Amino acid sequence: MVLKHCGIRIVFSVIAMVLFLTPGLAFAAGSAVPVEVTAWWVWVLGLFVFTFLLGIVAVIAGVGGGVLYVPIVSSFFPFHIDFVRGTGLFVALAGALSAGSPLLRKGLANLKLALSMSLIGSMSSIAGALVGLALPENVIQMSLGLTILGITIIMFLAKNSAYPQISHPDALSRVLQIYGIYYDEHLKKDVEWQIHRSPVGLALFTLIGFMAGMFGLGAGWANVPVFNLVLGAPLRVSVATSVFVLSINDTAAAWVYLHKGAVLPLIAVPSVAGMMLGTKIGAKLLTKVHTNVVRRVVIGLLAVAGLRALLKGFGI
Amino acid sequence: MKQETIHADKVQLAYAGILGKATTLGIAFIIIGYILYAFQLLPLSLPIEQVAANWHLRASEFHHQLDAPMGWSCFSDPAKGDVLSYISLIYLGAVTMLCLFVAGIAFFREKNIIYTFLSFAQMAVLIFSAAGILSGGH
Repeated sequence: MVLKHCGIRIVFSVIAMVLFLTPGLAFAAGSAVPVEVTAWWVWVLGLFVFTFLLGIVAVIAGVGGGVLYVPIVSSFFPFHIDFVRGTGLFVALAGALSAGSPLLRKGLANLKLALSMSLIGSMSSIAGALVGLALPENVIQMSLGLTILGITIIMFLAKNSAYPQISHPDALSRVLQIYGIYYDEHLKKDVEWQIHRSPVGLALFTLIGFMAGMFGLGAGWANVPVFNLVLGAPLRVSVATSVFVLSINDTAAAWVYLHKGAVLPLIAVPSVAGMMLGTKIGAKLLTKVHTNVVRRVVIGLLAVAGLRALLKGFGI
Repeated sequence: MKQETIHADKVQLAYAGILGKATTLGIAFIIIGYILYAFQLLPLSLPIEQVAANWHLRASEFHHQLDAPMGWSCFSDPAKGDVLSYISLIYLGAVTMLCLFVAGIAFFREKNIIYTFLSFAQMAVLIFSAAGILSGGH
């Protein structure tokens, strides 16, 4: 009980720091003072601290770092949105690569399910990245704002199904041998699963890949509901396989950003390091805090960042 | 109560093995590269102050004005702090391709034609993107 209260206090402190730190940086970013007056290391250090806090909050709220990183950093830091999107992909990619190995070993992430869905998703993420880097900045800001507000609504309304019962797998999933079994630590027993509606899933992953590439967002917010609610994979398999799909799709788009010069190591490395460190701490705090409260705060943060991006797009 | 059983197949374990090692190496690489860059322990191709003074520009404008590492061209002069840090990110972008190659070979050994094809097709898509054909690779 004491630990639980301690945990809540820690998380609220972290969230408060995120909220208080951000307007401070925003003031500096939006002020008439030229950007170069602020020493570069202040921004870099600020970015590291900010992404570290974001990493803690993201893992507790059950969202990927990329989806929080792009709208918030593009709103409150002086970097161009091209560099923020490029970095956002690397933030999501680094997190997915780190998490991928243990999830595959445990049999939670499924290689066949991921490979079947990621091929078309990675092609569309390349297309999305090319389109995203060609569009004018205000159009990107507007569409990012609308997308983030859409994600906020999805996160607010989304329900999930821990163990969907699929009695009739579709023909495509049978051909592709997409089925599996995993040990569920909650139930303390093996759970067998299979999927249905594979063609619908493929169509949705095409769209998700395009949006992930276009905005540099990790796509866990969309991958998980599609795996779980549309295809009917168990929630744990959906979350784990989503991480794995993300590592493939984000790699495809990240190369486009690298070739277009939209990745600056000065920004990307502290972001990746901060987020990875933060998610490790967040994972340790996970059992000690009320995840629902944090999740609501994150949804609120996303709504503000989405609205801000939308207003920026309109030049307000 | 059932004891935990691992249900991952051989291919999945092979993929996980190479992914784990390659990622650990990648994390070490990006940290070392960044220390060399940020603390300017190696000469830089572009002063950090110049990067910071222009990071508000679109990527295309940024590279029009400055000669910062970009795409494959960075390998022409790798002994610079910023270039090494950039190469560490390129490495991170190559990890998945390496893992897919290992998976493709493992599926081939199992005579699983569908997934041998899917693994190598997926790898081809990533190589295509990495080659920079559509994005005007440098």
